[in-house]
Order: sequence, then C-alpha cells, then structure tokens
Amino acid sequence: MSASPGHPGIRSDAGRATAEEGLVMLDGPDGVAVTMTAGAARRTGEALIAAAGVAEEQNRRQG
Amino acid sequence: MAATAIDALHLDKATADRPPLTGLFLKERGRDVMTADDVAALESTIDEVVDLPARRIVIRRDERVRHSSLLLEGVMCRYMDDRHGNRQIVAFHVPGDFVDLHGFAMRYLDHEVATLTRAKVALAGHDRLDEIVTHRPRLTRLLWFSTLLDAAMHREWVFRLGRLEADGRVAHLFCELHARLAMVDLVRDGTFRFPVTQIDLAEAAGVTPVHLNRVLRSLRERGLMTFRSGEVRMLDIDSLAALADFDPGYLYGGGPNMMGKDI
Repeated sequence: MSASPGHPGIRSDAGRATAEEGLVMLDGPDGVAVTMTAGAARRTGEALIAAAGVAEEQNRRQG
Repeated sequence: MAATAIDALHLDKATADRPPLTGLFLKERGRDVMTADDVAALESTIDEVVDLPARRIVIRRDERVRHSSLLLEGVMCRYMDDRHGNRQIVAFHVPGDFVDLHGFAMRYLDHEVATLTRAKVALAGHDRLDEIVTHRPRLTRLLWFSTLLDAAMHREWVFRLGRLEADGRVAHLFCELHARLAMVDLVRDGTFRFPVTQIDLAEAAGVTPVHLNRVLRSLRERGLMTFRSGEVRMLDIDSLAALADFDPGYLYGGGPNMMGKDI
C-alpha cells in the first residue's frame, strides 16, 4: 500500500473488490473495509469512474 | 448494575485459605509491586461475586454506578449503539480486567457494558475504593494505571479502525487478545479460548459479518490463524503482527514500573 508522493493520505493504489455470498467487499486503500450490495457496488463503481474522469480533466488543465 | 443482570449473589467472601479474587488484576503489568497489604486492601473492596449469563447487559448508559466490575472469568464487552440500533463493540474484556473502574470517578458510563459469554464478576464497591484513594496512594496509582491502559487500548482501536483494512483489523484484534490473555496465563501453545460469535468480531472490527467471515477464511488459508468453535489458534504470530502493524507496547507489559523505576 502506498501514499501518493508529497500527499500523505492520498492513495495512488487501488482498492481490492471481491464478491462473496452475493455481496461486494471493498478492501483498501487506507482503512477502507466496506460491504455493499451488488447494486450499490455498481453505482459506486460508476460514480468513481465518472469522478476519476473529472479529476483527470482537472489535472490536465492544471498542467 | 441493573438488578435483573444478576443471577446469583453473595457468593463466599474472601477467606485466608483461598486465592485472592483479584489475583489476575494487572498480572504481568505491575501486580508484582503490590504488597500483601495492597492485595488485602484490594480484596476488601469486593462486596460480592456474581455469576452472569451470556448476552446480558450489565451496566446501561447513563445509569448511576456504585461499584466497578473486576472480571474473573468469561468475556465481556463495552459497546455503543447507533441511532438505528446497530452495535459497535468498543472494547473486549478478559479475566483480570477492571471493566468499568472508570465508573468510580465518572459515576455513570457513556456506553453499555455486557457479557458475551457466561461470566464471573467481582463487584468492588465505590465506597471501599474511596478508602483506597484516601489512604493508599501507590495502590491508587495502580488503579489509575489500569484505567489508563484502557485508554491506551482505545487509542489502538481507533488506529485499527482508521488505518487498517479488514484483514489487518482482524489480525490486530487477535494479536491483542493473544497478548492480553497470555499475560493472565490463558494461552497454551498459541491457542486460547475466545467463545464469541463472528458477529461480535465483526462489530469490533467494523466490518460486516460476511466480510469478517471472508477474512477469517483468508487468514486460515494463508496459514496465519484459525478461529473455530470459539478456539483461536495463532499459527504464525509474526506474520499476523506484520499484517496488523501490531506492536504490543501499548499494553504496557511489565506495568508502570517497566522502566525500572518504583511507582
């Protein structure tokens, strides 16, 4: 597990998602340990992808 | 304590020919500096010994408390409920723990205390503890030390929940239990009894029961530990400690005089 250089607490490594008994478990990074329904996991995943796109665009603008 | 919590009251009082009820208190954490007089004074605080069934609330939040519970046998916990009634276990207690000694100074608790297994508890009257505070400064410091140990463990639990992922949290929990139970001589060859449910463990580790179950399976498959029928086998303590970032320093093995100075 690694923090983003120069930004303590900001993670540059991904969480690990697994499925068990019809539920999705997300472990990490940095203390995350949650269990979600499949629907909630899918919506969270979509929201993360959308937010990642916005963040990448912000980084591009900042050069 | 709610009267309904007590199944059997008024067991035998301390006598000269039986081991002290307080024999596990601060064992390997400063008990060795207690004089015979200190032990006798501590024993004198015990008003009664009670047998409690499993899953019984012993002290309710905001209830006036007039004694503190020294756990002799079994497992107890402190817990808090959220507004939906979901429980978060904030401490496990094992034999030798003065579970709610802080209630002596605080007069009421901000959380519930309950048994998880059948338990035997010695009840120390606050009026008798008052006498110790008044007349025995060294024993008072040891009692104070005991409550500070609780605070140290709470800090570690905050770290565990805030910084560790599910497998690290569970590994940390068992490393701590192993260390604490070893101090009171309840570990044999890396194995100890801790007969709580996976739901209890999940509520202490801040994960769901299904998540907890998966972590236990993962730890078993990696050859690190097993938890079966309330029995814990620590197969690879070093690897578990590394996974958990576990350093037992916060448990103050050796007690308040661990640095070689008298208390």
